[in-house]
Amino acid sequence: MAEGKLLVMGKVPPSLDREFTVVGKPLNRRDGVEKVTGRAKYSGDIKLPNMLYGKILRCPYPRARIVKIDTSKAEALPGVKAIVTKENTKGWRTKWYLIPQIAFPECITYEGQEVAAVAAEDISIARRAVDLIDVEYEILTPMLDAEETLKSPPPPCVADEEYPGRDIYDRKEFVIERGDVNKGFEEADVIIEDTYTTQAQYHGMIQTRVCVADWDGQHLTVWDSTQGVWNSKRVLADSLGLDRENVRVIVKYLGGGFGSKASSQRISFYAAKLSMVTGRPVKMERTKAEDFVNHPHRPHCKMYLKMGAKKDGTLTAIYQRAIVNVGVAAGMANYYPRQIIWHTSNLYKCPNAYLEQIGVFTNLQIIGPQRGPYNMTAIFALESHIDRLAQELGIDPLEFRFNNYATYGYDNHEVSGGQFKPLSITGDQEKKVPYSSKRLEECMNLVAQGIGWNRRKSSQNDTQRRLKRGIGMATFVVGQGVGLPPYTAEADVVIKHDGTISLFIGVVDIGAGQLTIFPMIAAEELGVLADDITVMGGDTKDTRYGPSCHASRATPEMGPAVLQAAAEARQELFAIAAPMLQVKPEELQSKYGEIYVKSDPSKSISFKTVCRKIHPDRPIRGSGSRAPTPTDYPRFATFGAQAVEVEVDVETGAVNIVRVAASQDYGKAINPKLCISQIYGGIEFGVGYALSEEGIFDPKTGKMLNSNYHQYRMPTSLDMPHIDPFIVEDEDPYFAYSAKGGGECSNAPTPAAIRNAIFNAAGIWLNDLPMTPDKIINAIREKEKR
Amino acid sequence: MTTEEDLVKIKRRVELTINGRKVEIDIEPRMTLAEFLREELELTGTKVGCNRAECGACTVLLNGNPVYSCTVLAVDAAGKEVLTIEGLADEGKLHPLQEAFVEHDALQCGYCTPGMILSVKALLDRNSRPTEDEVRKAIEGNLCRCGSYPNIIEATIAASEKPAQKERVK
Repeated sequence: MAEGKLLVMGKVPPSLDREFTVVGKPLNRRDGVEKVTGRAKYSGDIKLPNMLYGKILRCPYPRARIVKIDTSKAEALPGVKAIVTKENTKGWRTKWYLIPQIAFPECITYEGQEVAAVAAEDISIARRAVDLIDVEYEILTPMLDAEETLKSPPPPCVADEEYPGRDIYDRKEFVIERGDVNKGFEEADVIIEDTYTTQAQYHGMIQTRVCVADWDGQHLTVWDSTQGVWNSKRVLADSLGLDRENVRVIVKYLGGGFGSKASSQRISFYAAKLSMVTGRPVKMERTKAEDFVNHPHRPHCKMYLKMGAKKDGTLTAIYQRAIVNVGVAAGMANYYPRQIIWHTSNLYKCPNAYLEQIGVFTNLQIIGPQRGPYNMTAIFALESHIDRLAQELGIDPLEFRFNNYATYGYDNHEVSGGQFKPLSITGDQEKKVPYSSKRLEECMNLVAQGIGWNRRKSSQNDTQRRLKRGIGMATFVVGQGVGLPPYTAEADVVIKHDGTISLFIGVVDIGAGQLTIFPMIAAEELGVLADDITVMGGDTKDTRYGPSCHASRATPEMGPAVLQAAAEARQELFAIAAPMLQVKPEELQSKYGEIYVKSDPSKSISFKTVCRKIHPDRPIRGSGSRAPTPTDYPRFATFGAQAVEVEVDVETGAVNIVRVAASQDYGKAINPKLCISQIYGGIEFGVGYALSEEGIFDPKTGKMLNSNYHQYRMPTSLDMPHIDPFIVEDEDPYFAYSAKGGGECSNAPTPAAIRNAIFNAAGIWLNDLPMTPDKIINAIREKEKR
Repeated sequence: MTTEEDLVKIKRRVELTINGRKVEIDIEPRMTLAEFLREELELTGTKVGCNRAECGACTVLLNGNPVYSCTVLAVDAAGKEVLTIEGLADEGKLHPLQEAFVEHDALQCGYCTPGMILSVKALLDRNSRPTEDEVRKAIEGNLCRCGSYPNIIEATIAASEKPAQKERVK
C-alpha cells in the first residue's frame, strides 16, 4: 500500500507490513447469537417504569389548512396525560436533518404530517384520545404530478415561511456540461432517444419506527431507531432547545433502516416533547401504515435521454433531462440535485455532454435517502439506453461497454460553505480526474463469465416457445461516502492493565455488520484476535462523533479512524514492550496476541504480559480521526456489474429470474461473509424495484393507496433469485486496508440488468418501472402488431 | 351492549404452556398472543413488524404450527403449547438451526430472524430433509428486507443435514 495517504487527521500510521491475520476472514457477525436467541433488545423492546405511550394525530390530506383544533374531549379521557398541538407549542421548530420546520404547522403539505401528539397511560387510551381530537381542515387541491406542477405557479400555502429548500431547489435546473453536445450529435452515426420513468420505492424495513424518550429534568435519553446516534443527538438537542451534551441517544439494535432512519426519526421529537411536558418516559411506535405514508421514500423520476454514437460504437454525445418529483423533500438535505446526472456523467467516456436535473416540490409525501438515493434510478435509465444503442449498432452490449470504458472520472466536485448551490458547471472528462481505485473491467468480466455471456443469443429467434430465456447486464458507479468537515468520524481504542481492549465508536450496526468489522480492523492493526476486542457502539455516551450509517459511508469514514486509533495504541504498547525484549519499538511487530521482534520472531512476549506494565489508573488510549474527504482529487467511488438470466412467460407476462451474477469492487472486503450478504440485500431491493414495488397514489386526492405489505409488494423468498456473488479487491491507500463502503451499491444495476435480459428474451424494451406483467403483455402485443 | 371500556375491565384466566413452562394468568380477552408474550411475559424475542399478518416477524409455534402471533388472540392459545424463540436454545446451548443461522450469516438486522427461525423449525419438524424449493415455500410468509433469503435457505439445508437434528427437534 502506498504510504501516507490514509484519510486521517495528523500522523498517518505506517503500513501494516505483514500479511493479514484478521482482515479478509469470513468471521461470523458478533451479534448473531443475540439475534438468533431473541435476546437482542431493539428500541421497541425497552420498557421503563412509569412509562407513558404516545400517539400522533396525522393529517389525512396531502394539502390542507387547519382551521380549528379542539382537544377538549381527548383531554377529558381518563389516562390522557398530555396533548401537544400547534396551539400550545407556538414557535416550536423541529430540526429534522438540521432544517428548521414548524413542528405542528397550520398548513399541511403532505399526507400524514403531524397535527397533534398525545401521551397516555396505555396505547389504547392514546389511540382513543387521538380519535377524539376534532380538527377542521380546509382541504386544498394537492400538487401531485411534477410536470403538471412545473406549469403552475408555486403554492402560496406552505408549512413554514422557512419551507425547507424550496428557494434553493424548487424548479431549479442543475447542469453538468462538457464539450459541445450539438457538435457531438452531428458527429454521430446513430442517435437514440427515449424516456424512462421510475416509481416511488419504500424502505420496507420490518421494524417500524419506534422510540422511548426519557427526560429526567436535566438529561434527555432516547432509545431511538436511527442509523446514526450522533446525528440524532444533534437534531434532537437542537429541536428541543437542549444542550447537545445533555442528550444521549442509544441504538443497540436496529431492525433495518436502508436510509429511512438516516437522521433522527420525526416521532422522537414528539416523544421527547411529551416526556418533557409530563416528566415521564414516553414510548412511541408507528404503525406500518404510518411508516409507509409519513416516510421519506425514493422519488418518482422521469428521465429523457438522447445519445449519439459512431458506427464503431464510440459515444459522441449525451443529453439528459431528468425531472424528479421531490415531494416535500424532508428538508432540502434530502434532495440531491445532481445525483442522477452525476451517474450519467461518470459511467462512460464521452467528450460531449449536457445533463440537466430539475426537482419539483409537490405534495406527494416526503422523499429522502434510500439505499443509494438515485443510484438505481439513474443507472436504470443509463444502462437501459446503452443496451438500446448497442442493439441499434449491432454491437454486443458487453463489448460496447468496454469500448466506452471511462478510466477517469469527471470533476464536478464543488462544495462551497457546506452547501450545494445551484449552478451550471462546466468541465471536461479530459481533465482526467483519477479514481482512488477502479476495477470495473474485472467486475464486468467476472459477471460475463459467471452468467455464461457467450450463451447469450443476439436476438430472440425462437418464437414458438412460451417461456423465453434471455441474458442482460448492467454496470454501475456509485460515489463513496460523505466525509465533509467538520464532522467525519472519531474512534478510540483503550487498553487496560488487565489486558482488556475496548473500541469506542459512535456508529450503529444497522445489520450490515459495522460492529463486527471495526473490531476486525482494530484487531488487525493491534495484532490480536477480533474476539480480544470489546466494542462499544450505538450509543453517544462514551463515544465521539461517528457518522450515520448511510451513503455507504461507515466503512470508508470510520475505518481510517479505527485504524489510526489502534495504531496509536499499539505504538504505546510497543514502547512498553521494547525494553522487555531489549529492542527498539520500531523493531517490533505483533500478531495473534504476541509481540515479537521482526528480525527474530522467536523473541516474543504476549500482549497480556505487556499490558500488566500499563499503569492501572492510566490505560493506554489511542485516538483516531478521519480527515475530511479532499475536495480536489482523486474521486472516491465504487464500481460493479451484474448479469441476469431471465425467463419470460410471454402469455402471462411473468418474469422469472433464473440467476444473477453480481460483482462489486470493495477495495478490500474486511469480512467477505458480510459483504456477500450486502450483495444479496441490494439485489433484493433491485428485484423489487424492477418487478413489483410501487407506491400507488389516488390521482385526485394524492393519498397513498397501498400502505401495507400485502399491496406494496416486496420480494419474498419465492422471488429471490439464485445469486453468484463475486468480490473484487484492489489497493486503495485512502481507506483502511483499502476497504470501501458497499451497502448502497449492489441494487444499482439490478433493474437495468433485468430489463436488458427481458429484451434479450422477448424483444421488448421496457422503460417504465416496475416491469409488471401487464406492461410486459402490452409490450408484447405492441410488438406483434408491428 | 359491551363497550370498549367494559372490555378493558373484563379479564379471563388462561392456562397455556410457553416454552415448556405452564403459565396461568388473567388477561384481557382482546389481547393478541404477540402482545401477551411481549407485554405480559416480557418475551420480547417475538417481534412485531406489521401487526396485520403480512410480514411474519411475530411467528411463533402453536402446537408445533407456525402462526402469526399478531393475529391470534392470546385466549385462543389457551390449553395449547407455544414455542417462542426464547424456548429454542436448550439450557443456553444453541439449537442447531440457530447455530446454522449464525454460521451462514442468515440474518442481517435480525428483526425477522426469530420468526424466520421458527417457520424453518416447523418445516424441519415435518420434513427433516427439505429441498431448496420446500424451504422457499416454508418461509414465503416471512419477509426479510435485508435480503438474507439465500443464506437462510443455505442455513436451513445445512441444519437439516446434521444428524443431531432429529433427536433435538422438540
